[in-house]
Amino acid sequence: MAESQTDSGLLNVRLVTPDKLLLEATAEAVELPSTSGYLEALYGAAPLLAELGAGEVRLHGGSAGEQRYFVAWGFVEVLPERVTILAETALHPEQIDVAQARQELQQGEALWAEAGDDGARYDEANAVVREAAEKIASAESK
Amino acid sequence: MANVLDLRRRIRSVKNTRQITKAMKMVSAAKLRRAQERALQARPYAQMLTSVLESLVRRADLYGGANGTLLHPLLMERDEKNVLVLVVAGDKGFAGAFNSNILKAAQSFIDQRRALGQTVDVESVGRKARDSFRKRYPEAVYERTTEHYDNDLSTHHETLRRRQSPVEVLGEHQNLLLKLDIDDVSALSRSVIERYEREEIDAVYVVYNEFKSVIAQRLVVEKLLPIRKLGTHEITAAEEMTEEEREAAGRAALSSGVSLEEPEALEIEAEARKFGTADVDYLYDQAPEHLFRDLMPRYVTTQILHAMLESVAAEHAARMTAMDAATNNAGDMIDALSLTMNRVRQAAITKEIIEIVSGAAAL
Repeated sequence: MAESQTDSGLLNVRLVTPDKLLLEATAEAVELPSTSGYLEALYGAAPLLAELGAGEVRLHGGSAGEQRYFVAWGFVEVLPERVTILAETALHPEQIDVAQARQELQQGEALWAEAGDDGARYDEANAVVREAAEKIASAESK
Repeated sequence: MANVLDLRRRIRSVKNTRQITKAMKMVSAAKLRRAQERALQARPYAQMLTSVLESLVRRADLYGGANGTLLHPLLMERDEKNVLVLVVAGDKGFAGAFNSNILKAAQSFIDQRRALGQTVDVESVGRKARDSFRKRYPEAVYERTTEHYDNDLSTHHETLRRRQSPVEVLGEHQNLLLKLDIDDVSALSRSVIERYEREEIDAVYVVYNEFKSVIAQRLVVEKLLPIRKLGTHEITAAEEMTEEEREAAGRAALSSGVSLEEPEALEIEAEARKFGTADVDYLYDQAPEHLFRDLMPRYVTTQILHAMLESVAAEHAARMTAMDAATNNAGDMIDALSLTMNRVRQAAITKEIIEIVSGAAAL
């Protein structure tokens, strides 16, 4: 499979969740929400390992067409012709429950207030807020 | 002796029961197949996490300390003074000895640890485990203190555990197994890890029913934390199926069309082994130590998820076997009752004939 596509200039993209292999497709480019900012992988990219924070994985071109997945946390391996994404949860934007996400956002803000001077708890609250905010943004962007 | 009408009623009732148990058996068989499929689908993810962690261990400078041990809180071994045991049982009954076997194994684990002078926290997954332990042991008590500094400009919270009994029930998770949502499992895993890192507990064990196939199951006690070797399940005690159980399970599986073989690994699984291990110099977007630290808790989550997925499959298999046995027993009972009914009917006919004949003779 990989051999026949090596010269196509397309990346083999896999999205794997604990439930199943969610997506297997080819794409021209993949945008990844690394914890240190969005990065984009193209065919022939240098090998890379990165942790993904809350945000959208976006696929462009190839058999994937335009596809977006919201991931809360993930891990990615980029090889020149292959991108494999591990994500604990991956949702299509239309699968996101916005009302619930707003609730989570409020919870996160409450946690913020509660955390006081406790650094670890503050980080935790931050993570909740960030995830909820990204979720809402993902659901609402078209 | 019962009359024919009574017997006929009883037979009808047993037939109804047999229909119900048969339906339950088929439902369990279907659920078992689904559970097996799900467990299979979950494997690539777990395998990938393991592979990349192993590769990070090899590449990154994660060793330190005086004797060059791996530096991560989840790998640190301490003297086991307080242990946590996660008991994975079922939410429903009608599964033969499934629940009671698990509870028995958990109890013997607790007794062993008590004999060593250790304190034990019990966290139950599934309603059956909760019901059993809540009756026997008191609940753990946490106290939360809040201190204010500088005229309330800053606050400090602290949660303290106040232990009252050597064995305490800590948390309970009902209906978690019904859907087995990754977010819920992940929350459980986080809370376990947090307690471990706080050194409230020194080791974590899971008691569950391992399920390779219908005829290859065992009840195991697995050590979850500290992690000694990545990618393995450290089994500290195991109880195999008896020959009898295996036969019963095999019969039930055959009659409901469930395969006895272990399902074949997915194609992607072989590739999952290579995840993050290509023979190239990876760029690391974050420091390898950092990646390792963030991936470890996810690894623990997959280990817990694994135990739960297997347990769910085993529960359905146990219910299927129990219902198969019940269906067979109902069949036997119907046969016996039919025989008695025919005898009673024949006796009545014979009696009537004798009456007629002797009546005619008397004329």
